[in-house]
Amino acid sequence: MIRPNPAVLILCTLFAATFAPFSSAQTNDSAEISTFENADQTETTAQTQTPPSNNSQEPSLEDLGLAPSQTQSDPQLQARLDKRAHMLRIHQKLGLITAIPMIASVATGFGAGGKGTSTSDRWAHLALGSVTGDLYFATAYFAIFAPRIPGTQTRGPIRVHKALAWIHGPGMILTPILGAIAFDQKSKGEKVHGIASAHGAVAIVTAGAFGAALLSVSLKF
Amino acid sequence: MNAKFLIGLLLFAAPAFAQTDQQWILQQSTLTYHVSHPLHQSEGVSHEARGKGACHQGQCDFLIAVPVKSFNSGDSNRDLHMLQVVRGAEFPLVTVRTRLPEDAGSSATVLADLEIQFAGQTAQYKQVPLQLAKEGDNFRITGTVPATLSDFKIDPPSLLTLPVKNEIPVRFEMTWRAEK
Repeated sequence: MIRPNPAVLILCTLFAATFAPFSSAQTNDSAEISTFENADQTETTAQTQTPPSNNSQEPSLEDLGLAPSQTQSDPQLQARLDKRAHMLRIHQKLGLITAIPMIASVATGFGAGGKGTSTSDRWAHLALGSVTGDLYFATAYFAIFAPRIPGTQTRGPIRVHKALAWIHGPGMILTPILGAIAFDQKSKGEKVHGIASAHGAVAIVTAGAFGAALLSVSLKF
Repeated sequence: MNAKFLIGLLLFAAPAFAQTDQQWILQQSTLTYHVSHPLHQSEGVSHEARGKGACHQGQCDFLIAVPVKSFNSGDSNRDLHMLQVVRGAEFPLVTVRTRLPEDAGSSATVLADLEIQFAGQTAQYKQVPLQLAKEGDNFRITGTVPATLSDFKIDPPSLLTLPVKNEIPVRFEMTWRAEK
């Protein structure tokens, strides 16, 4: 009788245990030895697969090597984003509303400064200009005081939108001042003169910049 | 006699011990979402997805994760707005899980069931066609996830009071490398 060597027995057991699943897989289906590396044999037929299920073999997020800053929830930032979005939505709506009296102001302005203009034309223009100014500064408030998001680099059409604010912002301060001087001169029966004569041109540039700012974030150029 | 047998056994057994389940690592990726608005067609792109696949008993489980804030549409204002509506600060990752048969690479197209976690919601997409192509030692997988905003309970953002379309298809191109 042959007496088995314990070392040989252990190795045999290990050998058998290691190769058993491998060899059975081969016998089950010869295609299973072809992994992704054997894709040269492409087929146009679609394969179906079983739905994912949870088991210990599945990779986890920890396996992906993501930085904690990329995976951790930040409710404070979310609150900041929510507040920012809320304020910018108001900014957007008020901006659209502001465009209506602004267009009307420009339209009535053409008739408000002429020789034959009536007092009512000037008052109508003044009223529309005042409403435009109030709405404009309310609109600007919601953009200026919307929370900034740290680490954000400004890209895209918003840069044009912001740059145009440097034109229509000072324009919206200057236009009513010049308008008030012009209104005063006209009320005294004088011809609009001096710096006040720039009121119309400044207003048109301001309205143009405002319109362009509105379009810059509305339409894709 | 015993010594020879042992050496022979060891020679056979060594490769067997080295044999481990195959793993796949995501090498490169481009994920692109598309948003339609009456005034705009915009796309956001991310190249920052991480992914891993682990094969076991003829099946490979894949996990792909991409930071929400890594999507760049070329407009920082839109990206921040996107981050807000999808609650990207609260749920900073989009994760995709799927399972494919280990021999899936032998087909040009595979239909995969995807489980996607995004914006605090989980959606299942059944039978999503994935195109597979071998490129040297790597595999290139392309496809489109027919995602919608309502799948993840996201309120459609609006511009000039007009909301975007519900459909936000996400196109992906991924290159996977096998690791032993």
